[in-house]
Amino acid sequence: MLARQTLDAWFAGKNWKPFRFQKEVWKAVASGQSGLLHATTGAGKTYAVWLAALMSLMTVTSKPAGTTRKIKGTGVARSPLSQPLTVLWITPMRALAADTLRALEQPLALFKSRENTEVLQLAPWSAGARSGDTASAERSAQNTRLPTVLVTTPESLSVMLSRADAREALHSVKMVVVDEWHELLGNKRGVQVQLALARLKKWNADLCIWGMSATLGNLEDAMHTLLGREGGTLVQGQVPKKLIVDSLLPATAERFPWGGHLGLTMLPQVIKEIAGSSVTLVFTNTRSQAEIWYQAMLEARPDWAGLIALHHGSLDKGVREWVEAGLKNGELRAVVCTSSLDLGVDFLPVERVLQIGSPKGVARLLQRAGRSGHAPGRPSRITLVPTHSIEMVEGAAARAAIAAGHIEARLTPEQPLDVLVQHLVTVALGGGFLPAELYQEVRGTAAFANLSAESWEWCLSFVRQGGPSLAAYPDYRRAVPNEDGIWRVPDARLARRHRMNIGTIVSDASMSVQYLGGSRIGSVEESFAARLKPGDCFLFGGRLLELVRIQDMTAWVRRASGKRAAVPRWNGGRMPLSTTLADAVVRQLALAGEGRYDTPELRCVRPLLELQQQWSALPTTETLLAEVLKTREGTHLFLYPFAGRHVHLGLASLLAWRVAQHEPRTFSIAVNDYGFELLSADYVDWPSLLPEVLKPGHDAEAKSAMLEDSGREGERMALLHEVLESLNASELAQRRFREIARVSGLIFQGYPGEKRSNKQLQASSSLFFEVFRKYDPANRLLLQAEQELLAQELEIGRLNASLQRMSTQKLVLMMLERPTPFSFPLMVERFREQLSNESVADRIARMVQQLEKAAGELSPVKGGAVQPADESQNMGGGIRERLAFGEDTLRSSALSRSGRRRSRKKNQ
Amino acid sequence: MSMNSLSPTVGPPASPGAPLVINWARETLFLLPERAIWWPSQRVLMIADLHIGKAATYRALGQPVPSGTTRENLRRISHLLMHYQPVRLVFLGDFLHAAQARTPAVLRALHEWRQDFPDLECVLVRGNHDSRAGDPPASLNMQVVVEPWLMGPFAACHHPQGHPTHAVIAGHLHPVVKLYGRGRDHLRLPCFCFEDGRAVLPAFGEFTGGWTVTREHARQLYPVGGQAVWRLPDLGKIP
Repeated sequence: MLARQTLDAWFAGKNWKPFRFQKEVWKAVASGQSGLLHATTGAGKTYAVWLAALMSLMTVTSKPAGTTRKIKGTGVARSPLSQPLTVLWITPMRALAADTLRALEQPLALFKSRENTEVLQLAPWSAGARSGDTASAERSAQNTRLPTVLVTTPESLSVMLSRADAREALHSVKMVVVDEWHELLGNKRGVQVQLALARLKKWNADLCIWGMSATLGNLEDAMHTLLGREGGTLVQGQVPKKLIVDSLLPATAERFPWGGHLGLTMLPQVIKEIAGSSVTLVFTNTRSQAEIWYQAMLEARPDWAGLIALHHGSLDKGVREWVEAGLKNGELRAVVCTSSLDLGVDFLPVERVLQIGSPKGVARLLQRAGRSGHAPGRPSRITLVPTHSIEMVEGAAARAAIAAGHIEARLTPEQPLDVLVQHLVTVALGGGFLPAELYQEVRGTAAFANLSAESWEWCLSFVRQGGPSLAAYPDYRRAVPNEDGIWRVPDARLARRHRMNIGTIVSDASMSVQYLGGSRIGSVEESFAARLKPGDCFLFGGRLLELVRIQDMTAWVRRASGKRAAVPRWNGGRMPLSTTLADAVVRQLALAGEGRYDTPELRCVRPLLELQQQWSALPTTETLLAEVLKTREGTHLFLYPFAGRHVHLGLASLLAWRVAQHEPRTFSIAVNDYGFELLSADYVDWPSLLPEVLKPGHDAEAKSAMLEDSGREGERMALLHEVLESLNASELAQRRFREIARVSGLIFQGYPGEKRSNKQLQASSSLFFEVFRKYDPANRLLLQAEQELLAQELEIGRLNASLQRMSTQKLVLMMLERPTPFSFPLMVERFREQLSNESVADRIARMVQQLEKAAGELSPVKGGAVQPADESQNMGGGIRERLAFGEDTLRSSALSRSGRRRSRKKNQ
Repeated sequence: MSMNSLSPTVGPPASPGAPLVINWARETLFLLPERAIWWPSQRVLMIADLHIGKAATYRALGQPVPSGTTRENLRRISHLLMHYQPVRLVFLGDFLHAAQARTPAVLRALHEWRQDFPDLECVLVRGNHDSRAGDPPASLNMQVVVEPWLMGPFAACHHPQGHPTHAVIAGHLHPVVKLYGRGRDHLRLPCFCFEDGRAVLPAFGEFTGGWTVTREHARQLYPVGGQAVWRLPDLGKIP
């Protein structure tokens, strides 16, 4: 009550009136309820939860005023001991920890000033942050005594759980607040949080848990996942602000659109928009794109140097903090950024948000729009800048989806065993565990609610001896039971390494970028750095840099000028178009097909859509469009299910596999969010094959599954089997294995900041994958790689739904004479997967034969590139040049042996 | 010795399952699809980068890599030994992966293998991994030498290097080559790499990675795949 009075007075003094939702949260927390607060950033959500915590959890001491404790022997007054750790505040980003801490500290100051005047005293609260960025001095102080409220990340919380005295340190926690829960919910970091909460609940059954989330399609569900049970209080934040979604449109639409190109032609318009607003955030979808845009903007407006900035996850922390500070105090006119600025921190002055390229989803678009107009009453506005012509349709589609209230749902990953294996070792370190007890605890989370006893036993045997078979992993053990049956980690060295590797964020091996004798700029992927030779230039952190040498896992650079540059390409971040938005796009195309060009976006893209209609057809909700084209490269099939790139990858692999069941084939697969391409060197009779391979039942097992059950279930089983088979034939499962291997501790990532790579332990995950497949094929982590691939990379549920839908659609197959506006971007896509069941010898023979032919045709001097078919040759002039945009130019250039060897020796 | 005498010349056409025969330094060499070189006139078999006990090293350091790679490596060597019946087997460095590789199980497997071929002369040219791992136990009866170790016209080495008088045969790099085909087909294959008086063998061992080499003028590559060794056409001489 005492706290409540103080806070009420504070509000009154500031002439603030609590919002209704804030009062709702205060009331719920006061009665000990847990729940989820749904509110956009900047709408007072932090105070809703934080003040509730203060009101309910501050304890009153009846120590009379005036008796201050003295430091022994000195007579100096010592500040009273703060209340022990009471609130854990979990934030998804390290960068947010400092800002959050500042916000939490503000009301705490109030109580400090009252301390000495009241008879009844509130025990003082201290606040601190703990993350990977925390200085070691503060860390060790915290090890002695944790502050009353601790702002931390999921990873740092797990590290705390691995302390031998974890229970002692954390049992006093009464409330856990998870900020930006929507950001964690759908991934393994969220699962890590679920497991940690289960641990804390075991130590304090009355633990109060609150989440804060942006708009999602399934908020109730999101709350139950967080709480680990049904029930809870869902509080709706302030009514969403007014939202404007519009697009910047080019004067004329390119009729042959491809990724990346159109983007920069929009530069003058983007510059104009920035010039016309006070502060603008320019969101891009990838780090490379951010680099390119920043550079182009500086070239166009050199006078903006110092007024515009770049922000992405690979830049050094110091650089990012400088940019964030510049945004907050309004010194910067514009910041080009990636999802690194999606979250948290309120940048009050931001007036406009531009989104370069597809927003990918409705929820994501809403989130980014919410970065603007933060002050109450101001509208949020997001302006889409399409990077290719078809993307223009997305603007109109997103508006329609928002109007109809179609927003994506987000679900927790189902039983990721790699996270569980990591958790087992964490708990074994944090005081040890009895398997039966921990099994119950783990099943209390949404992610592992259905964990079978077999899977549990496998995980136990995996951390004990590498797997159920004793012989498979001699000399290996991580956690073992002692004579009392309590599982612990026997080896101090392994314990240290585990703590260093806690977490589920897997990044590629990266290398520092640093000026010669100067400051660190950030990091690039090792694979990118390895392809550079001294003297090569690349664009990074908004500067043109020249590589001087690679040494001690660091790329030493100096400023360069005038030379052509490569742009580092970071993997990841190629998220799929959501079903919600994709469906909305098809509806817009259907409108166009009926001649209804009602929005500015559709009117702009009209020439392209009409050409598509004239040369082929437009997809509709009732038809499935397929296009077949023959070139000197082979036979191309283009199919447009509009189901997002992940599902298209799965569908493409599946169809390729089905065709290959009838005769040996090698396919190259290209996908985008609208459709996919299957390219085969040899002729494929698609008109007769395609209707066949859209149906299941192409090998004995699939057929028997369908015979056993002639209904839906039989088809589903057959499909599952066929998708799994097609995965085994493709490169996909191997790529997925990387993350799993790292999270479960199969692969050691090295110590942060470690200058030398640990040579005896360096091996690529693909090598691991091969060894596991050959020598321990029953390993459940391999199985998980497969399952995750199904669930996440291919979104099996969505894939199944697309197949169902495709079976009801009318197939429209067009034989093309030349690429259409829709097929062209797929033809020039360079990220490709392969699926083959031809013998390696046959494939090599064909390649060697072709090289022989090329060698016979070319003069010896001209050789050089091994890549035989130049995809641009039959597509008209000028394209090749423009294609090079946005891709690293090093790919085709000859590489110096000496440069490469040097970098390789570092890694061996 | 002139460049010419060291340049490989083409042998009979390759067919799956068969070695590729080349002439180099006036000697006939068989490039084997098993990733080894057979020198028939002296009955010498050459193998590079075995990395025995690599998986065991990982396990000892806390990484669960399944066992079986060492036995598979030794089985493949035995298979070659029985087929070609060499008098001498030369390991071109990196025989043991690390000191931690000397586990009882690994050493037992090595001894059992050695006992099957008691008359075979074994030579190890010390590589960078061997320097750290230490020489193999004397009971394995292997002659350990430093590079370059001369035999006939050849200098057996671990690190690829120049030699004033002899043709260098080395390992260390684990070369692989990427091949591209029509329909954007591509493959990554281990390869033999001949260049400027040096030959580099692909790594023999299971569970070893690869370093991509590009096709260049005066660099002859022989990829291994589909139970065969292939000859890639020469890009020609540097003009």
